[in-house]
Amino acid sequence: MSENKNVKLKYFGIPKLLPFVKPYKKIMISMIIMGALSSLIDSIYPLFNQYALNHFIALKTTDTIVPFIIVYIVILIVFVILNFVSTTWAGKIEMSVNRDLRNASFNHLQELSFSYFNQNNVGYVHARVMSDTGRIGQLVSWDMMDMVWQGSYLLFVLINMALINIHLAMYIMLIIPFAVILIIFFQKKLVALNRKIREINSKITSNFNEGITGAKSIKTLVVENKINHDFDVDSDDMEKTSVLAGRYSALFSSLVTMLSSITLAIILWKGGMINQEGIIMIGTLSVFMTYALNMLEPIQSIVGGIARLIAIQVNIERFTTLLETQSDVADRVEVVEKYGDTFHPKKENWEPLYGDVEFKDVSFKYPDGNEMVLEHFDLKVPQGTNVAIVGETGAGKSTLVNLVCRFFEPTYGQVLIDGKDARDRSQLWLHSNIGYVLQTPHLFSGTVRDNLRYGKPDATDEEIWKALKLVNAEFVIDKMDKGLDSEVGEGGDMLSTGEKQLISFARAILADPKILVLDEATASIDTLTEKAIQDAIFTVIKGRTSFVIAHRLSTIVDADVILVVKDGKIIERGKHAELMQAHGYYYDLYTRQYEEMVTNTVSEIA
Amino acid sequence: MERKRFETKTQMVLFFLNGSKKYFLLAIISGCLVSFMDMINPRIIGFTVDSVLGDKVTELPAVLNKMLISVGGTVWIKEHLWFMALLVVCIAALGALFRFFLNLLNAKGAEKLVHTMRNELFNHILHLPFVWHSENQTGDIIQRCTSDVEQIKIFLSEQLIFLFRIVILITFAMYFMFTINVKLTLVSSIFIPMIIGYSLFFHKGIGKSFEKVDIEEGKLSSIAQENLTGVRVVRAFGRESYERERFEAQNEHYTNMWVHLMRLLAAFWSSSDLFSYLQIFSVLCVGTVLCVNGEMSAGDFIAFNSYTTMLMWPIRNIGRVIANLAKAGISIERLMYIMNSKEEKDVEGAKDVDLHQDIAFNHVSFQYENGSAEILDDINFTIKAGTTVGILGGTGSGKSTLMYLLDRLYELPEENGSITIGGVNVRDIKLSCLRTNIGMVLQEPYLFSRTLEENIAIALPEMDREEVKRAAKIASLDHAIEHFKEGYDTYVGERGVTLSGGQKQRTAIAQMLISKPPVMVFDDSLSAVDAETDAKIRHALKENVGNSTVILIAQRITTLMNADLIVVMDHGKIVEMGKHEELIHNGGIYQQIYELQSRSASEVSK
Repeated sequence: MSENKNVKLKYFGIPKLLPFVKPYKKIMISMIIMGALSSLIDSIYPLFNQYALNHFIALKTTDTIVPFIIVYIVILIVFVILNFVSTTWAGKIEMSVNRDLRNASFNHLQELSFSYFNQNNVGYVHARVMSDTGRIGQLVSWDMMDMVWQGSYLLFVLINMALINIHLAMYIMLIIPFAVILIIFFQKKLVALNRKIREINSKITSNFNEGITGAKSIKTLVVENKINHDFDVDSDDMEKTSVLAGRYSALFSSLVTMLSSITLAIILWKGGMINQEGIIMIGTLSVFMTYALNMLEPIQSIVGGIARLIAIQVNIERFTTLLETQSDVADRVEVVEKYGDTFHPKKENWEPLYGDVEFKDVSFKYPDGNEMVLEHFDLKVPQGTNVAIVGETGAGKSTLVNLVCRFFEPTYGQVLIDGKDARDRSQLWLHSNIGYVLQTPHLFSGTVRDNLRYGKPDATDEEIWKALKLVNAEFVIDKMDKGLDSEVGEGGDMLSTGEKQLISFARAILADPKILVLDEATASIDTLTEKAIQDAIFTVIKGRTSFVIAHRLSTIVDADVILVVKDGKIIERGKHAELMQAHGYYYDLYTRQYEEMVTNTVSEIA
Repeated sequence: MERKRFETKTQMVLFFLNGSKKYFLLAIISGCLVSFMDMINPRIIGFTVDSVLGDKVTELPAVLNKMLISVGGTVWIKEHLWFMALLVVCIAALGALFRFFLNLLNAKGAEKLVHTMRNELFNHILHLPFVWHSENQTGDIIQRCTSDVEQIKIFLSEQLIFLFRIVILITFAMYFMFTINVKLTLVSSIFIPMIIGYSLFFHKGIGKSFEKVDIEEGKLSSIAQENLTGVRVVRAFGRESYERERFEAQNEHYTNMWVHLMRLLAAFWSSSDLFSYLQIFSVLCVGTVLCVNGEMSAGDFIAFNSYTTMLMWPIRNIGRVIANLAKAGISIERLMYIMNSKEEKDVEGAKDVDLHQDIAFNHVSFQYENGSAEILDDINFTIKAGTTVGILGGTGSGKSTLMYLLDRLYELPEENGSITIGGVNVRDIKLSCLRTNIGMVLQEPYLFSRTLEENIAIALPEMDREEVKRAAKIASLDHAIEHFKEGYDTYVGERGVTLSGGQKQRTAIAQMLISKPPVMVFDDSLSAVDAETDAKIRHALKENVGNSTVILIAQRITTLMNADLIVVMDHGKIVEMGKHEELIHNGGIYQQIYELQSRSASEVSK
């Protein structure tokens, strides 16, 4: 999606990463020195060959072979140790920086407001935490080390050559600009093609997704052949583009090896001539040949490294943007001083919450919207009142609930909790007193007990069972192998939707909140559970201030106030009987739902 | 079309290799030539050093020697050293050409192979019965079609080809080395099995650690995922600190595992560095001694060292490649599961039938294999051609199942009664004929990621805009579409506009109407549409169905009260049947429901 974006940051965005690298400054510097040393050794090896050829073989003697062996072995051991330590450290830095970046982004996300989550989907945010961080970690460790290794190797080789014979070295250096141009040209081509391949690839994946999740529609519409044909178009495109990329990279690798052979030939020719003049010996010639063969790889790596640095700016940008995003629902400084922040609450200063809620001349528009969805809205909800919010799917029923929970703040006006503006106390204080049951119940992987205790970490088993009993959810636990210690699986997948719903009721009750927000499930659940849930709702809202996004007739009819929402706005409000008499939108909605309920209940009884 | 099921993995791989085999074979041949060319240059250099720059008597084969003498012998070359350089470049050019072919042919083969696999899989999946789609997890299947396909590609085009090339390279190198000096070859080759064995042993062992780290990464990733999807729950319960601890703990654990693994890898890399350099060093020392003793010349010494270095990297990699081979086996099995699932197919002698005929359900009983509670029990009734039939029933009464059996989304076992159209069992009708002629509007329709127009006309792509508009108008969708900025060209689905439930249902209705099928089934397809639009659609439909047979499934009596026949279903059985006027005096469920639904809603509410 944002892959195409070309991001250009100052100094490749590296200054933005400095705070995360700083703790590892010392180890990084030693790593760089060690890497350079190991490259130095690497560039010295051919000199042993030179010595063997020029001294031993040319003079037909083995006089210094013992020190020769000893020096080689010592250098080899140093080399191995240097490599071991510098790779271990590179790995350690990579993983540590990754870890720090992940923690920083995850923790920052805990404090961002809901408008951020509404504007960015979970997959996108998740990738910021899990994959951008990985790329950046790689940059400050391996990519950097690669530059150090290869760059210093190249440098040492050039110095060695110049020292041995500047004349011959000049010939070889002539090759370098050609190599660089060649490599840059192909690198660019290949990067562009690979991007295209990734785009087609994601198309193909969504084709597969459509072919499987849309199976029922595909079959009933008998469009198998059409869907298959469309798939073939993408698939052919993929093959063509990939082969093109393959062609370029084949050409590239051939040209690079060709280039090093040309260098080799030049050395043979010019070097041979110099050799005949008696200026250099055969051994020296062989050193040059070895260097010629080994020089192109570092050039390739360096160009590749620069290309990665350019590409990685996107990741750096996305990551730092996340960290720089400010929450639009933030506690004021003096509030934080008194009540503490998200991670360091000062519970001793928290006053108890009673449960009066009042909307006072509230106007509201979503940060990403341009229309006011509430205008001069007033509503008093005294402690213990049950407010029902009804309307069609997507009509905007969550708006009020979002304001009560302070997931969003009013654009104008105030939401008062116990007579005081909600903004005068910390979010955590409010949230610790609110219970929330979602339409699609969300459980966390872990045991049932972990999940039930989510709102009250120190709840005893006795309290847990009491809560379960209140919502008639004991049967859910009873049928599980390990009782409260049973795992619920990722997202609670081991349980049915209805069971998850019951568990989330029990979870809400355990926290004993003063204000309860409840989004009733619309999904069809088996009748037994359905009954249990209905009873649970009544138990849960009794005596608490509650806001229920209602789908069940029983909940609506008994509500103290009903708010009817259409196209994001509250169009009717009142008690059930009043609204029915008005014969307005509520009347229509109610009648329709009622008819469906009748069919179901009558056939249940029959 | 009909394909036998694959008995062995090889059979399936060979099937997929259709079309790409020739590329791979040519790639292998090019690979041999590349290796051969690579072997020649060290000999040329050796020759130059010994016989041109030095004064050793040439040991060339007779033919080459003759050629050499005809140009003037080594003396001439000595004065024209560029000739040797040119020779090196020519050989290198040939090598580069073959290397280009090797890589290109390999890429072509690989992409062709992936193309075949992808298309075969997709096509096969489209033709698998619906039961298969509902039994298998989408994510898992997609993964098989992407990652496992990739794995097999890597296995065939990289790993196998690599192994082939290495074997050839080693064979050639050994041959050339033997011709230079047998003793030195023995010294050099002692190390080869050692290095391969060491790397194989290490990679076999490390595989498990990689799996473990992957699992830990998965856990970390799902903590983040759950936190983001459950952001409301986290905030509402004020558990940010807890989430932070949980994430940081797992992050730390995962990081430490990686750091440990990195240390193992670093140890392996540096120790195998040690072996490789020892190999080179042994060759260097023994070679030197041999040279000093006059058993070898300097040129041969240089050539021999080149061969040893040439083999270094391939030999170090061979163990890793062999250790990874096992992964491909698993991937092949996973694809075989898909490819060996049975496609839907017509029975022998299946025919095309005119569907403007009576549809009869004869003592149909059915139960899902997956143990779903929904059942059908002895359903027996006939739908006269051209009439409208309503089926009323609550959730789980089996009314949708009945339609799935008619459309053969599920196959009715022979002993469980029969469904006939014009006296012909649906099982004996061609599937394409059956489904094209039965238009089904599903309760939860699936829209494809295309424009609205393409979605509506998906079954008949040659339809013009006017036809599409007409269908949209009947389905009361025209106004909604005109509201979109891009009208009928609005992109919907995964990467486009999200439609509301009611809009989706209406799109599906238009989608079905456009092909004017002789049988139209509306499976509770107005449930998300408001009462007013519901009435409007029903009215428009009545005028437009022509002589088609219409089956209306609903929970609301108003939707189907005008039908020619109404069937009331409950718990998988037919409990009542007749016209509306008869049923409302029957004293059965229908009457009950009717009375409750038609009583003025205000009366009902207490």
